[in-house]
Amino acid sequence: MAALLVRRCIAGDAVAWEEIVQRYHRRIYNICYRFTGSGTDADDLTQEVFIKMYRTLNSYDVERGAFMTWVTTVTRNLLVDHFRKTRQERVTDSLDTPQSEQDDAMPLGDRIPDKGPSPDTRVQSREAREAVHLALQKLSPELREAVILRDLQDMDYREIATVLRVPEGTVKSRINRGRAELARLLQRTYRQVM
Amino acid sequence: MQCSEFDALLSQAIDGTLSGERLTVFEAHSRECKICGPLLHEAEAGHSWLKSLEEVEPPDELVTNILVRTTGIDTVRLRQGGRLTTSWMDRVRDWGMMLVSPIVGVARQPRFAMSFGMAFFTLSVGLSLAGVKLTDLRHVDLRPSAIRRTYYETSGRVVKYYENIRFVYEMESRVRQFKQAIAPAEERPQKRDNNDRKENKDNRSGQPDQKQERNYSRGEGVTVYASLRQNGDLSNSTLGCSRVDEPPVVPGATDRRFV
Repeated sequence: MAALLVRRCIAGDAVAWEEIVQRYHRRIYNICYRFTGSGTDADDLTQEVFIKMYRTLNSYDVERGAFMTWVTTVTRNLLVDHFRKTRQERVTDSLDTPQSEQDDAMPLGDRIPDKGPSPDTRVQSREAREAVHLALQKLSPELREAVILRDLQDMDYREIATVLRVPEGTVKSRINRGRAELARLLQRTYRQVM
Repeated sequence: MQCSEFDALLSQAIDGTLSGERLTVFEAHSRECKICGPLLHEAEAGHSWLKSLEEVEPPDELVTNILVRTTGIDTVRLRQGGRLTTSWMDRVRDWGMMLVSPIVGVARQPRFAMSFGMAFFTLSVGLSLAGVKLTDLRHVDLRPSAIRRTYYETSGRVVKYYENIRFVYEMESRVRQFKQAIAPAEERPQKRDNNDRKENKDNRSGQPDQKQERNYSRGEGVTVYASLRQNGDLSNSTLGCSRVDEPPVVPGATDRRFV
């Protein structure tokens, strides 16, 4: 189905292109949002991804892989470029300083509810999700992109390996390390609050 | 089970795809190993935290912005209008945007903007050096009839100019031909006079042998005197050369040397 849409787009069908945009824009936006941590950056990057896709649609080869994989690869490459460009501008404050542009000045440590020592028993609230989102930004880019593609986008290990251009074993290792690091970050903050 | 093997199976265990004897060995190792056990718990916790994140809703105008920046056609707006029919102005505008937006997008890149700036600067400097002022364009009549008249006037001036040039060239060529035609008749006696007059010059035109003969016949110290015929006829008298066989015997007060 996606291959047919791509062929129609290449032939100049604007409706087919709109169909592709409608189908994939949420996914790409979420990947960008979880990776950058900013809604504004995610908006800009999503548009850049589709512009790149529109210009390089001819380069997609259906025999090389699924269209979803190709779209995710384009997204990931632009995210990496964006990360390198903004490396010096990035804020590296601790979790206790407010970073979200949408919330008020409540420190991250105060947002984590003080119920029980185990993270599995914590009430899933909006503040907790915000804390997880902020903790995700603290991971290194390699671990962050691996856990986003696996746990948030439900891609299988082979597809992730194709997108990241690393072996499957490396993908699994990065995912495990990313999960463990995320849990440690959240637990450390929880212990500081206690 | 080794820790390296445990780490390789960790993802499968969290995904729930590990079963049978391998799962038993895996769980036994996690209970025994002080490193792999906490690692398993942390990985499971992180996995659950990540699964708690919900999908974020993108902004409403994101699709519209993407379509405008790519195809340049706002098809979403067209559909939301209820009917696909739009005014001819909107169609013309959309068609124009589709044509212009790729060009504008390219032109807005810094390197092209710099090129356009340099071209504009060069053009303005060239016009100012040529003395052309843009304010003079206010007096230019750009109506079609005026442009047509200007074209005819200019072409007439150009034709007239080239006709005049051709006339001048023709006249010059005829004068040159005329000069060449009359020049041989005048040049022959002029050449003789030049040979007579130019004594000390190395004049190789005419008859150099006779000149030498005349020199030999007269020599350095021989003077030639004017002579008259015996019958007193002055018409044939020559003040220049005299016949060799009748050397004059006239007591001369003036010496004239002839070459």
